[in-house]
Amino acid sequence: MTDTLDLPTKRQEEWRWSDMAALEAAAQSPAGEAPDADGWFIDGLDGPRLVFVDGEYQAGRSDAGPVTLEQLSADTDHPLGRRAAGAGWVLRVGEGGAKTCIQIVHLGSGGANHVPARIELAADATASIVETYAGTGWANRLTQIDLARGARLMRSVRLLQSGGFVSLRDEAEIGEAASLVSIVLGAGDMGSRIDGNLRLTGDGAFAEMGGALLTRDSQSQEAAVVVHHAKPEGSSRQIWRAVAADTSTASLAARVEVARDAQHTDGEQSLRGLLLKRSATVNLKPELEIFADDVKCAHGATVGELDKRALFYLESRGVAPARAQALLTRAFVADALDRIGEEAVREAFADNADRWLESAL
Amino acid sequence: MLKIENLHAEIDGKEILKGLDLEIRPGEIHAIMGPNGAGKSTLGYVLGGRDGYEVTQGSVEFEGRNLLDMEPHERAAAGVFLGFQYPVEIPGISNVQFLREALNAQRKARGEEPLSGGEFLKRARAQADALGMEQDMLKRPVNVGFSGGEKKRNEMVQMGIIDPKFAILDETDSGLDIDALKTVGEGINRIMRKPDKAVLLITHYQRLLEYVEPDAVHVLAAGRIVRSGGPELAVELEREGYQAVAA
Ligand SMILES: Nc1ncnc2c1ncn2[C@@H]1O[C@H](COP(=O)(O)OP(=O)(O)OP(=O)(O)O)[C@@H](O)[C@H]1O
Ligand SMILES: [Mg+2]
Repeated sequence: MTDTLDLPTKRQEEWRWSDMAALEAAAQSPAGEAPDADGWFIDGLDGPRLVFVDGEYQAGRSDAGPVTLEQLSADTDHPLGRRAAGAGWVLRVGEGGAKTCIQIVHLGSGGANHVPARIELAADATASIVETYAGTGWANRLTQIDLARGARLMRSVRLLQSGGFVSLRDEAEIGEAASLVSIVLGAGDMGSRIDGNLRLTGDGAFAEMGGALLTRDSQSQEAAVVVHHAKPEGSSRQIWRAVAADTSTASLAARVEVARDAQHTDGEQSLRGLLLKRSATVNLKPELEIFADDVKCAHGATVGELDKRALFYLESRGVAPARAQALLTRAFVADALDRIGEEAVREAFADNADRWLESAL
Repeated sequence: MLKIENLHAEIDGKEILKGLDLEIRPGEIHAIMGPNGAGKSTLGYVLGGRDGYEVTQGSVEFEGRNLLDMEPHERAAAGVFLGFQYPVEIPGISNVQFLREALNAQRKARGEEPLSGGEFLKRARAQADALGMEQDMLKRPVNVGFSGGEKKRNEMVQMGIIDPKFAILDETDSGLDIDALKTVGEGINRIMRKPDKAVLLITHYQRLLEYVEPDAVHVLAAGRIVRSGGPELAVELEREGYQAVAA
């Protein structure tokens, strides 16, 4: 049945690290009972809460607030994203609209589910969205984001599925002086592909997409993000951390494109991998493509192991070896997760990372 | 308290300690001096249990227990503190976080209650004050961007917070300015000069010994203790050099 899904193959450069076999297996897994939604919302955050089970909106268990449920087309040529047409959710915030923190929990029981989403913020509007993926199966999402002048969106996504696969495709247009910050934590046991295409289409726009992928056993997770600077004075950040244990694979591909007009672009790209075992793999692919002449693009890509001297220093002060490893690993991913704006969300994500570390080490 | 007999240890197959004997009783402070490369830090690491330092012969007893059988964190819980010649920088972990984690791990291993955040901070602030370290530095990542002297001072703040039974201080005086040397010297006396505690002080200079008066001074050369004496030996070493004294 392999060819029925018509998935990208490793022969395609952008998909050479992808684990489409895991996606396929997740798609064909039988649907069953989805886990409870309760534990997956972050306490201490007021605001609308939405629950999707196997891609279907659960009106009875949700308070949608300003979010509307609509039929959406999948206006993209992305090989996974284009499958996500149909019933989806939309957040439109009018000019100057105040900040609400919206939580969305996606629960999967098995099989494939596809949900498109649109986020449209008018001038100077602000919003924050936290999404959590739990359960199993293949969750496939296309999220299209449009930020008008001065709009600000904070988006935090955590992948905590116990199995299966999550594929996210984000496409964003970021207008003049608008700001998008997208932070993703992959700390479940599913496979993943996080795909982003962020376009800075107004002067002085800011785009950030980054996060941490934690992999163990034979799991594969991957992020592939392109940031395109079309206009001058923009800044972007891609700060990704990958931590791989056992025989797992974590891959990060990040690309910055600076068009000829995008003078005074300030780009920062930092891809770092940490191997908890030599049998694990971290793939990094940093790319810069710069056509403007007056730009600043700092970039770095390194893979390493935990610092043995630091481990001994901690142990010699009384910290047990596994805990010392967990502390150093947590410090390693902290840079990426610290960018989340709301404290409660940041702490919840840090807790998820901690729990992962405690069980993986 | 600490009894080292015929200790042989190697790194990467190269023998560094070649039959070292040393006994330190409770209440005593011993100084070890010796030329560069003699094996002083190696002795500290072997006592601390660092990976890669292989003991091939001999024994080390700490309060009647076989120290060499214990993991580094178990040695710490048993009361051993190693002050590093080159303290390690740990980005992303603050001093307070690091020390609270360490102290409570030790307390847990000894079956004691953990200190609450408030109790811990009080203790940390008091030690920082006593050792002339800015309170701000407690919140900074461990040793990151600290000057050489600040790192050494931080080691002593850590020792004050952990309150060990036995401390090996590897060149804690190197890199300290004249005033800091005095503060650190007084700190060592305040924290460790007790009838049930002991210190092994590794140093190149007699100056620290003016503040922390040792009960015994040993010369370590080529992996062995080649001479032992009282505080006057340090003065003699300073005047005449290792070569003359150790010959
Ligand atoms: N990893 C290593 N591999 C091989 N030799 C080593 C290693 N580490 C240390 N040594 C050697 O062990 C010897 C003792 O080193 P050690 O650091 O114990 O000296 P020391 O007495 O503390 O010197 P100093 O006064 O300079 O601090 C030196 O000759 C050093 O080069
Ligand atoms: Mg040394």
